[in-house]
Amino acid sequence: MRWPSFVNLFGAWFFLALIPLIILYFLKLRRPKMEVPSLVLWQSVVNDQRVNSPFQKFRRNLLLLLQIILLCLLVLALMQPFLSADAEVAQYMPVLIDCSASMAATDEITGKSRLELVKEQVREQIESLSGDQKMSLFSFSATGRRLTDFTSDRRQLLKALELLEPSDLPGQLDDVLRMAAAYTRTFPIETVTIMTDGNLPDQVDFELPFSLDVRRVDAGGPNVGITEMSARRSGPQEWEVFVRVSGSSVDLRGAELKFFENNVETNTQPIEVSNEEAERLVFPVSSAEARLLEARLIPTGFDSMAVDNSVWLTLPAARPLKVWTSPKLASWRHAIRVLSNIEQEDGTDEQPKGSDYDLIISDAANLGGAIAPVQVFVGVIPDDLKTMIEVKEDVDYVVDWNRTAPFLRHVQLADLEIGEQPRLASGLSAKELEELGYEVLVDGKAGPLLLQRREGLSVSYWFTFHTDRSTLPYRVGFPIIAANAVESALKQASLSEVSAAPTGVLPVISVEADRSYTIKTPDGQQIPATSTPAGTLSGIPAAKVGRYDILDGNDVATSVGTGLLNTTESSLKAVEAMRFTELTVAAEKSDKIDSDQPLWWTLALLAFGVMLFEWWYFQRARGAAA
Amino acid sequence: MASGTSQFTSLFDNALLNQIERMRLRPIRRLTNRSRGEHLSGKGGSSTDFADYRDYAAGDDLRYVDWNIFARLRRPYIKQFQHEEEMHVVLLVDASTSMLFEDKLLRARQAAAAFGIMGLLNVERVSAYAIHSQPEKPWMFPPGAGRTRIRQLLAFMEQLEGGGNVPIEKAIETMLRFHRGRGVAIIISDFLTFGDISRPMNMLYSSGLEVWGLQILAESEINPNVQGDLRFVDSETQETLDITNASELLNVYNDQRLWLQSQLDSMCRSRQGRFLSASSGSSIQSILFDQLCRQGWILR
Repeated sequence: MRWPSFVNLFGAWFFLALIPLIILYFLKLRRPKMEVPSLVLWQSVVNDQRVNSPFQKFRRNLLLLLQIILLCLLVLALMQPFLSADAEVAQYMPVLIDCSASMAATDEITGKSRLELVKEQVREQIESLSGDQKMSLFSFSATGRRLTDFTSDRRQLLKALELLEPSDLPGQLDDVLRMAAAYTRTFPIETVTIMTDGNLPDQVDFELPFSLDVRRVDAGGPNVGITEMSARRSGPQEWEVFVRVSGSSVDLRGAELKFFENNVETNTQPIEVSNEEAERLVFPVSSAEARLLEARLIPTGFDSMAVDNSVWLTLPAARPLKVWTSPKLASWRHAIRVLSNIEQEDGTDEQPKGSDYDLIISDAANLGGAIAPVQVFVGVIPDDLKTMIEVKEDVDYVVDWNRTAPFLRHVQLADLEIGEQPRLASGLSAKELEELGYEVLVDGKAGPLLLQRREGLSVSYWFTFHTDRSTLPYRVGFPIIAANAVESALKQASLSEVSAAPTGVLPVISVEADRSYTIKTPDGQQIPATSTPAGTLSGIPAAKVGRYDILDGNDVATSVGTGLLNTTESSLKAVEAMRFTELTVAAEKSDKIDSDQPLWWTLALLAFGVMLFEWWYFQRARGAAA
Repeated sequence: MASGTSQFTSLFDNALLNQIERMRLRPIRRLTNRSRGEHLSGKGGSSTDFADYRDYAAGDDLRYVDWNIFARLRRPYIKQFQHEEEMHVVLLVDASTSMLFEDKLLRARQAAAAFGIMGLLNVERVSAYAIHSQPEKPWMFPPGAGRTRIRQLLAFMEQLEGGGNVPIEKAIETMLRFHRGRGVAIIISDFLTFGDISRPMNMLYSSGLEVWGLQILAESEINPNVQGDLRFVDSETQETLDITNASELLNVYNDQRLWLQSQLDSMCRSRQGRFLSASSGSSIQSILFDQLCRQGWILR
């Protein structure tokens, strides 16, 4: 049996109020006098054992007893008794609250969202905080956020809790766990409580320095949502737009998918999906200009989550791929020229004239300030690798190559003969190259023959041998390599494929260079941003699903949109356990958190009941006397 | 009750008085005095009621020899007749303050007057005592017999005033100091006393008196209408008693009242007497002709 403890023991002093209560009772007690012939019978009544039984004695002073009970209950409530949930009550309680998109899922019957249920549980826990307990609230979705410091101020905690809203972002634990782990250096944290719906990745790359108490709510009804939207160029001005719609329920749920081009509805498709059966729809779009597409899902029945019902996609304006190829690389220039929709500079300049290209193929490292998202260097050793790779006059051949690399897709390099031999300095290996950001795509006899380096959004390929000094231009694979380079450039320029942007950060937006813009978010906020000298806007937060207008003054320069686009979030599935680096933590379903159970409100309720009974009894006695 | 100069007494109307005059007391035992009266009191008397035979003895009055028997048996037998002796009827009326509630004292006076008239008209010696504020000097109607004392008895009863706080047991003891003779002691009281009443009952019994107890209770004592928290004040002693939630105690009160009545009844019966409890709310006709007749106290 657990005995209650008290938060406010000093409240016991109020028991002294019993003394004046009893004194006042007897002072105030005025009985109406009634003359009777004799007291004989009444004295016998008083002397009767039944009258003097404990119950009768109780009834004789029932009003006083009720008042004493009422006062005792009120004083006990003032002392704030509670039943301790655990003998080892944690003094510092970090609570991590999942605010990912799936927490907005509402229950079909109760109409309450998962986050509302979690808030109810946390509110209860806050109310039951004992005097020396401190709680800190964190929220997390894609990233973590600390809502309060460790505090025992219930008002502050409740205020922070009430402000919590579900975000339009998928849930990730890593970030918020690192934040909580940072606190373990300052506070003796033993257990971290996670309040979630379990719609989280089942693997978390994090080494837990504390025990984890994962509390899961499972409420939520059927959901239908768009989980994917992308477009692929099918002609110079033709696009095929793919939209994937998934469901969370076992049975088929109906919906209507409306397709908008620049806010004009152009197509409507009825669909039926379940958790086993997603639907993929294709919408043809013909446009040479940039277009803002929107796929809007209108479920026919109850839909648990609305945030995944709209997705935007910006189609870029159709244009030819801008390629510069060094005039000395005739084989490359010839291979590129035969490809369609390419605008290749055919001059004899050693360096590009312009500054922006989609693809540059050069035999020199110096490009004269020109940049391109895809660059291919032929017979060039990167400056930072010149001490590590030396080209010798020797015959070389391909030992192995990365067959899955997009640049070498469908390419056969066996029996390739090379008239140069790049050699890696002795004692070095591919590991040292990787540390500098280079990936070896083709290995020669003594060193790397082809390197790939990614820098931000751009990628560069480095042939350490000159292709003209090999049999490569005569091989079938050579035009394929050139086509792969073009394909890679098309992708980088979003000219062949484009995908809808998920919430989080807006994709890089091409605008005029060095200008100030204002980004109007779907919830009406305005974010100022300045474009880079290269004419891009990047790193713009996009926490909400919807349309983002990039305003140049009052004019809309361009518009982009985001969607939730997360199969896990739309599925509303919950993981049973999460695997951490050295530990697996079960996500238990719980309707209630194990917390100290406050009793003050029970006592206050009882006191109210006693007060009502006393009032009724008093009125009854008065009525009877009247 | 009708009133006016034509009425013989203020206690009853004349019609009721006529009915009472035709009634007589019915004692259980024949506790009589040796002086002649009208109560048959055993063999050897000179009444006309035959009692028994006995052998003739020398000196017997020859007038009582049954000559028919002598003719058949050739032996003389003397016929014996029942005695007709005088019975003493003592009336003790409780006129203390507790009897002033409602019509308790009136009913007590009426009952006492009725018993007295029955006694006097049947040639009994009737005396009456009334308890009031002076325990040593009770109001007394001296013993006497004869129809001529009826008016005096009625006047005594009419003038009887209530008051005082003499307990009934003390009043009985006082009365016994003045009383001589066997018969019936009729005690008319509410019998609400804190004292022990068994001792005066024994004294009455040993004095040769049948104890007839007539308890007169007010309606408010039989069915008290009380509720809430009250402070009861004793009308005689002015003592107080606090009662909480009186309505809840009425069952216990009634139990106590019935227990007291059963105790008094048992006390009277064990001393060859009678006990009856009547309500002051009942009419005297009802008490006399219904309750007392049915209980066998009086004969019509």
